[in-house]
Amino acid sequence: MTYFLLRRTFGFIATLIAVSIVVFAVMNVLPGDPALTILGMDATDDALAALRKELGLNDPLLARYFAWVGGALTGDFGTSHSFRVPVAELITERLAMTVSLAVAGMVLTLVIALSVGIFAAANHGKAGDWATMFISQLGIAVPAFWLSILLVLLFAVKLRWLPPGGFAGWSDPVAALRSLVLPTVALALVQSAVLARVTRSSALEVMRQDFTRTARASGLSQRRILWRHVLPNALVPIVTIVGMQFAALVTGTIVIENVFYLPGLGRLIFQSIANRDLPTVQALVMLFAVIVVTANFVVDLLYVLIDPRLKARA
Amino acid sequence: MFELQNMTVRFSFGEALREASLRINPGDRIGIVGESGSGKSMLAACLMGMVPDAAELTGTLGVDGIDMTHASEAHWQTIRARRVAMIFQEPMSALNPLRRVGETVAEPMRVHLGLGKAQARARVSALFKEVGIPDPDSRLRMFPHELSGGQRQRVLIALALACDPELLIADEPTTALDANVALKITDLLVDLSRTRNMALVFISHDLAAVARATTDIAVMYGGDIVERGRTAEVLANPVHPYTQGLLAARPDPRAVPRDANGRRRRLPTIPGTVPPLYKLPQGCRFSGRCAVERSACAYVKPAPVGPRHATCHAITQDTL
Repeated sequence: MTYFLLRRTFGFIATLIAVSIVVFAVMNVLPGDPALTILGMDATDDALAALRKELGLNDPLLARYFAWVGGALTGDFGTSHSFRVPVAELITERLAMTVSLAVAGMVLTLVIALSVGIFAAANHGKAGDWATMFISQLGIAVPAFWLSILLVLLFAVKLRWLPPGGFAGWSDPVAALRSLVLPTVALALVQSAVLARVTRSSALEVMRQDFTRTARASGLSQRRILWRHVLPNALVPIVTIVGMQFAALVTGTIVIENVFYLPGLGRLIFQSIANRDLPTVQALVMLFAVIVVTANFVVDLLYVLIDPRLKARA
Repeated sequence: MFELQNMTVRFSFGEALREASLRINPGDRIGIVGESGSGKSMLAACLMGMVPDAAELTGTLGVDGIDMTHASEAHWQTIRARRVAMIFQEPMSALNPLRRVGETVAEPMRVHLGLGKAQARARVSALFKEVGIPDPDSRLRMFPHELSGGQRQRVLIALALACDPELLIADEPTTALDANVALKITDLLVDLSRTRNMALVFISHDLAAVARATTDIAVMYGGDIVERGRTAEVLANPVHPYTQGLLAARPDPRAVPRDANGRRRRLPTIPGTVPPLYKLPQGCRFSGRCAVERSACAYVKPAPVGPRHATCHAITQDTL
């Protein structure tokens, strides 16, 4: 067990180092001169050279990499070229939005997918199964941005229940939550369509196993058997997909925040790329990568919590 | 008390059980024998209310005089565990792998008997002791994969006994175990049946185990109960051609392996195999494989004859 934890932690750190190298390399070998971007086409050669020196662009690549990593570890990601404020400040201002969206989206995804998946499995081969699987197939086929537009048209434009987009800040919590409802639903519906199908097939597989029959022979209700015996045993494939989906949700906020005009990391990365704001883009790509790698690390640990047989082997 | 009367289980592709009647009184120990596909497990499923939804049931299944043939799943949930419980063939896969075995055994007590955590735990510990699990208080914290096959089967027996059922159905309980452990589990089931005055339905194709465990026997073939009686009498003097074939096919450890001419003796077998449900003959299910078959056998269902209720056209009151 200790060995397993050590190995996974080592793998986690190694992955992060590899990611940082790739992110740094891609950002720095890309064509385009940051100094030129900042000062514009009319800048004099002297001014450009001075700025390059100030930005440290003349230093060897390796030195710049370590300077960047060292800064990142202490929370210093440099200064944004376009916003003229520290990148760390930009990120912390917007992190709450993106994290709330992703977490709320994940929770909603789990609630919908587990209920629908278990319902479909319990009604295997019957009308309820066919109907839910047909709808989930539609859900998989629909792109999130298009679904967002439909949701806005229905709930914001036609019914006027919820705001169509924008965000007035957290000072009015009710208004803030109301503006997050549609984006969360848009994020969750597509993801839960995929997860519901995984839940259904995994649950069906478990329901064929002998211990489900034992539970039924013990006079337990179908509800109890499904939620307390079948679902826990169906969790391993579900958790695998959830790990990948959390990554997809975090990156999915890029699209959703732009559709709903929300001030989160997704909008920030979009603006920074448009502005060739290298330090910001670099920090954000690294941050998204860290979130994805961490999600996978957590999933690995969850497997062991779910299944005692893995603990024995690990 | 449980009583099946003329129970037929019909699927679109054939009958898995045909007009089976069986009466189980408290403390009875009944063996059900027959080849795979003979309807033994379907008979058990009837008694548990666990016949697949696709089947059509006719006849009656009385539990204390109440007809449960078309009872709801909710009604059955009040019968299972408390009145009738069952253990299955595969102790390896019959326990939830993610749960400590103590939790698994405690669950029906907590659900059906409303026991608290501590009460249930004490009861599980006592049950483990009763079924011969050494050091019960540490075993109940273990996961199924940490126990041997025999220990898991004992846990499953404890689970079946959790709510003191009047009837325990054991469906091939020893098939997956090695011979020595199988013998101990068989003896344990007999002891439990005696001390608790609990009826035992012992399903097996192992005639030796059935002879050891039961006082009465029902022989099944193709969904029919073809012969029944006291276990010792049926095994010593079978009347139905199928039972005779089944007994002849039993390897006898005392038999001389070579005959008078020095030729190796071959173990007699019943020719052919049990046909699939949709190919079973309309009349006597055994026709087509039977040594004493007559022309009508395949088309006319034989009525039970004599004290053994043997279903065979070749048997008359005179030949008995």
